[in-house]
Amino acid sequence: MNIRHIEPFIDATVGVFREMFGLEPDFLNPYLLQRDDRNEWDISGIIGIGGDSKGVVVVSLSGELAQALTAQLLGGGVATDDDVVDAVGELVNIIAGNAKKGLEEYRLDISLPSIVRGPDHKIAWQQNVPIIGIPFKIPLGRFHLSIGLENIITG
Amino acid sequence: MTILVVDDSRIMRNIIKNTLTGNSRYAHAQYLESPDGREAQRIISSQKIDLLLLDWNMPMLNGLELVKKLRADPLYAKLPIIMITSESAKYSVIEAVKAGVNDYLIKPVSEKLLMEKLERLGF
Repeated sequence: MNIRHIEPFIDATVGVFREMFGLEPDFLNPYLLQRDDRNEWDISGIIGIGGDSKGVVVVSLSGELAQALTAQLLGGGVATDDDVVDAVGELVNIIAGNAKKGLEEYRLDISLPSIVRGPDHKIAWQQNVPIIGIPFKIPLGRFHLSIGLENIITG
Repeated sequence: MTILVVDDSRIMRNIIKNTLTGNSRYAHAQYLESPDGREAQRIISSQKIDLLLLDWNMPMLNGLELVKKLRADPLYAKLPIIMITSESAKYSVIEAVKAGVNDYLIKPVSEKLLMEKLERLGF
């Protein structure tokens, strides 16, 4: 596993949570995700990567955590479903966009975010691209970052 | 002063607006919003805008394409534009500056940096 190319995503995630939510996330060791791993999350924000590599950046959260983070961005109150979708999309967009600074030797293009919802939803990962999982923890709960970058992040 | 905030995220548009209205200098500005570049172009062509705060990655017409269209039109050659985007790579900043943005701010939005950039542009 090429840690040097994973660090920009960890740094971006920590930085985004610090700046947007005033939180310092802890993270566990990155691991190679198995294609049949069960996804225990309720909502995932997905960004496709193109350019010098093909890949994906995914942030997955529980519905409760997504709701809490969205409410914080709204300045309080109860977030609607549309608000949560908006917030999770923006969160993964900012993480992917910020990570590009640490990967400037590659020209990478990021897509608009897509959102997948539903308890234990399954993401069909690209074939032949190793997906690295990084579990994160904040006081409000846990979330998960998954990254695959063809020919850049190797298993 | 009329400020047009263009971002496909409604939450991000609100964060930017709230950041500005929380400062007495910008509290009384008129704020207009658009979720994409095409709608923003329509607004700009229909009324006077003093400042454009523009995201990059958006549907319909992205921020960079909108900047290029505006700068190609003498009417908008000097419209102050700050690009506010998650695109953090140096090559992105260079591309945006070459297209004609006046300044560039990487998300998440820092209130301090946004204020500095506005002051630098004379607002």
